[in-house]
Parts: sequence; structure tokens; C-alpha cells
Amino acid sequence: MVTHEDVLKIANLAKLSVAPEELDGLTKDMNEIIAFADTVSAASADVSDFDNINGLSNVFREDVPVPSYRREDILKNAESSEDGYFLVRRRR
Amino acid sequence: MGKYGTIARLHELLTTRQISCAELAKKYLDAIETDNGRLNAYVKATPETALAAAEKVDAKIAAGRPIAPLEGIPMTLKDNISTAGIETTCCSKILKGYVPIYDATVWSLLKRQNAVLLGKTNMDEFAMGSTCETSRFGGAKNPHDTGRVAGGSSGGVAAAVGGNLAAYGLGSDTGGSIRQPASFCGIVGFKPTYGAVSRYGLVAFASSFDQIGPITQSVEDAALVYDAISAYDEMDSTSSGRKEPALPSLGNDIRGKKIGIAREYFDGVREDVNGAIRKALDVFRSLGAETVELSMPSLKYSLPVYYILACAEASSNLGRYDGIRYGYQTAHYTDRNDMVCKTRSEGFGAEVKRRILLGTYVLSAGYYDAYYKKAQNLRGTIVRAFENAFQKCDLMLAPTVPMTAFASGRTAKDPVETYLTDICTVPVNIAGLPGISVPCGTGADGMPVGLQLIGPKFSEAAVLNAANRYELAARESSFKAVKAGVSL
Repeated sequence: MVTHEDVLKIANLAKLSVAPEELDGLTKDMNEIIAFADTVSAASADVSDFDNINGLSNVFREDVPVPSYRREDILKNAESSEDGYFLVRRRR
Repeated sequence: MGKYGTIARLHELLTTRQISCAELAKKYLDAIETDNGRLNAYVKATPETALAAAEKVDAKIAAGRPIAPLEGIPMTLKDNISTAGIETTCCSKILKGYVPIYDATVWSLLKRQNAVLLGKTNMDEFAMGSTCETSRFGGAKNPHDTGRVAGGSSGGVAAAVGGNLAAYGLGSDTGGSIRQPASFCGIVGFKPTYGAVSRYGLVAFASSFDQIGPITQSVEDAALVYDAISAYDEMDSTSSGRKEPALPSLGNDIRGKKIGIAREYFDGVREDVNGAIRKALDVFRSLGAETVELSMPSLKYSLPVYYILACAEASSNLGRYDGIRYGYQTAHYTDRNDMVCKTRSEGFGAEVKRRILLGTYVLSAGYYDAYYKKAQNLRGTIVRAFENAFQKCDLMLAPTVPMTAFASGRTAKDPVETYLTDICTVPVNIAGLPGISVPCGTGADGMPVGLQLIGPKFSEAAVLNAANRYELAARESSFKAVKAGVSL
């Protein structure tokens, strides 16, 4: 059973704020979704050493510098920037 | 066959100079003007990009130079595929105004072939949904009945291709997002093997499930587009580099091929949908294929396994939206934490927030073993079940969706019920397999039904060939024409 407190705790971990009027609906939704997910806890899985379903291995390249994107192009998408840095104001 | 807008047909019109590439592009752009209000397929039209590419192709044709099959063909991209200089928002408020500075690999491959990009198409926000209705722009409508959903999450691509507002499009499929809307809109949707197509530049939802693939009017077109976008890419560490072109295999005999039918795929499938699938099986038998009955009990865990793992990956992937580097930022805040929380709460829609919360929950201390780890282990069980199944058969056949397209407005009412729509599509993503949805007639409500063919990893050529054999054998009976968009 997921409680209001649980939802608020998870929301805090996920950096989401939940408005008081959203809390009931979200808790109800979460309970339904968790009940649905609960079917797996009862299941028996025959694999315990499972880590890589897609059968892939790491791909490495030599650690040499290669050209990348221009700083001013990257900063174009930021809300604000200054002197070539992302700018985050203390408050607004 | 009524498929007047296939790539092969348009290519022929261009090479025989019955129409110029610019004229063709304009026809589609005009049709978007006229019909998009009804279908809500496009969220952004890109006429300058389209016409610039078309002019290049016309110059080539005028100079008597040959053009490649995809050159000059009007197409679209789902709004989660990055396009340099063209806004890419995943239909989310949080990415409003975001203009990528690089192209997704699939788009640069097609651009090199002078593909004519008509615009970016509608989708469920961050591809999280099965109806396209979690889009910031409202859902795309089904070209067969605009009172119904186009499906999702690649609903916009499916509505555009199904409604003749593009010859083809690229979507992404995390739990069925290419195949399900293709089924609902009566067209072809192909999800390749995980790793066959580069994901570089695809905005991440659930990285171990996401895969880009084509939505087209015919299986031959799907093979053509698949061959053009599957290539090794050093920018995607999961890119396989394994490549067997599919197009040359089309036309191969499927006599003696074993088609597996797992009964679990048919639990809860609506009777008329079941009927259409059974009829399609008769067509496969008439082509000399044999059917093999299978049982895969672990499939019953597919949906919860998928939702647990995909949401866990999403909660991590979507952590990057902090309002600092790109996209939306809240107007007022008291400190940095408040800025990030408010930005995310105002920028994400309800379904995205639900999935981030579920993902965070299953990864949090005390629940990790019961949910996340258990789901990973069950994922392994399902992978093995498919490996065993493909010891007994060459391909598997199943419905794509247990029902036909339903009326608009359902997502908001019951999230879990909407999740059930994905029951036949998620197993393929769990196991990283190729799967295709091909039209196989209509249900009792006159709406299209799709059949799904599934193959072992990297069996694209075999899957597409069998689908093509079926499509040609079933002819008109499998395909329902639409009166919308461009007619040529």
C-alpha cells in the first residue's frame, strides 16, 4: 500500500513537486500501478545471473581528443548563459 | 492494390519525369495544410527543408543522373528524432524551443539520400503512451475514423503515412510504439533487432528497449527504409554492425517454414481480431508454411516486467531535464532545488510524472530487489523462452494488438487499462527481437487489424520476406484504403 507520505518521498527523490490537490489522484494511480507490478514478486524466475540481455560488450576507442560541438552552439539552448558558462541564478 | 503512395511508385513517377520532385513535395505539403487539422499528425511542418532537398533531386534528374530509391521521397520523422536546426520536443513542454545542434544518425543517413523531410510528427510525450494522447499537442487521429486514436506512441507518423501525408516515416518502438499505431492505422510498422539501427540522436526513454524503425505503406517499403538506416555507428555503443540487407531476400519461398503460434498471445484477444489473424494463418499455410503450436507461460509477466524496467530506465534518463542546459525553465524559484523541482513539475505531463515516480519507486531502497531485480530476472526468463521457441520454429505469428483502434479520450481515465493495449507488443522489446505489424483485414467495426511476425535476433530479412509473401498473397483483402491526403 503506497501512502501519501510514500508518494511525497518518491517525488522528492525524483525532483518532482506534488501539489496538494494532485496527491490523492497520484497516490491512487501509484497504488494501481504497483498492484499491477506486484504480479512479478510472486513469480519464480529461473535466471539469477542475469545482467545483459542484449548480449553486448563494451566498446572502447583510444582516448584521443576529437573535435566536438562548439561551445556557443551548445549554449544556445540554455535559458541563460554568461562568459561561456551555463548561468543558474540563486533565485528568480 | 490501392497503395498509390508507395516509395517504389513515387520513385517511378520521379524517374519517368511524370512529376518533378518539387511538385511532389508541394503536393504533400499542400495536403498537410488541408488535412492536418483533422488528423493532427504533424506538430511541425518543414517546407523549406523539404523543398531544398527536392530541388537538389530535380537538378540531378535534369542532369540525367540516376537517383537512389529513397531520393526525393517525401517523409517524416517522429518528434523524438533529433534534427539539427529543427525543433525537437518529444511533444513535451519541457523541451519546448529545444533545437538540436546535431542530427540523429538515422536522419543523417537519409539526408545523404536527399530524403524530403515534410515535418516532425506527433507522439505521446517522451513516447510514453499507447494512444498519442499524452502529447502536449493532443493526440493524432486515426485516418480511418477521426473519432478514434491513431495509436501510440508513434501515432503521428502512423496517421501521416496512413493518411497519405507522407510516403513513409521513422518512429521509435520501446514497447510497441511503431507496431501498435501501424496496426491501428492499417499500415506496416517494423521494429528491428535491438542494435540493428543506431539510436544516436533518439531522445532516450528506456535505453535497453528503444529502437528506431520504419512505418510504411508496404512491406517492400519497410525493407527499403530498413536497409537505408541500418549501419554500424560508433556513436551508439550498442550498435551491432551486423547487417544483412533485407530487400534482396524479398520474394524467397516460405514453403516449409515453421510458424510458431504461442497460445499466450491469444489470451484476451477480441474475437473478430482473432478471426482476422486465423484467416491470415490460412494464407501462410496456402504459401506452404507449417504452423507449430507453442506454449510460453512466462509471457504473462511481460507487461509488468516491461513497465517496471522501462519506467526505471526512464526515471534515470529523464533526470537530465533540469531547466539549466536546454528546454523549459520555471519563471520563479527560491533556490536551485526549487528551480529543478518546479521546472520538472511544470514541464512534464501527468503520464510522464507517473512513470518517473514508478521508476523511482522500484529503484528505491527496500523495493529494488522485489521489483527491479525480480523484473530483470524475469526478463532473462522471457529471453530464454523465445530462444527455446525458435528452436521449434522459424518465425512466430501473433496479433499486434488484441483490439482495433478505440475511441479517443481513454488514456486519462485509466492508465493501467491503457497499458494492457501493449500486451502483444512488449515481449519483442523485452527480448530485443525484430517484429513487424502487417495489415490483415478489418475487425467487426471496420477498423484495420494487424498481424505481427516475430523472428530471432537479426532475422530481419526472413521476417520482412515472410511479411511480404503474406502481403502479396492476401492482396486487397488485407488492406483498407483511406480517402485522405495525397492521391496520385
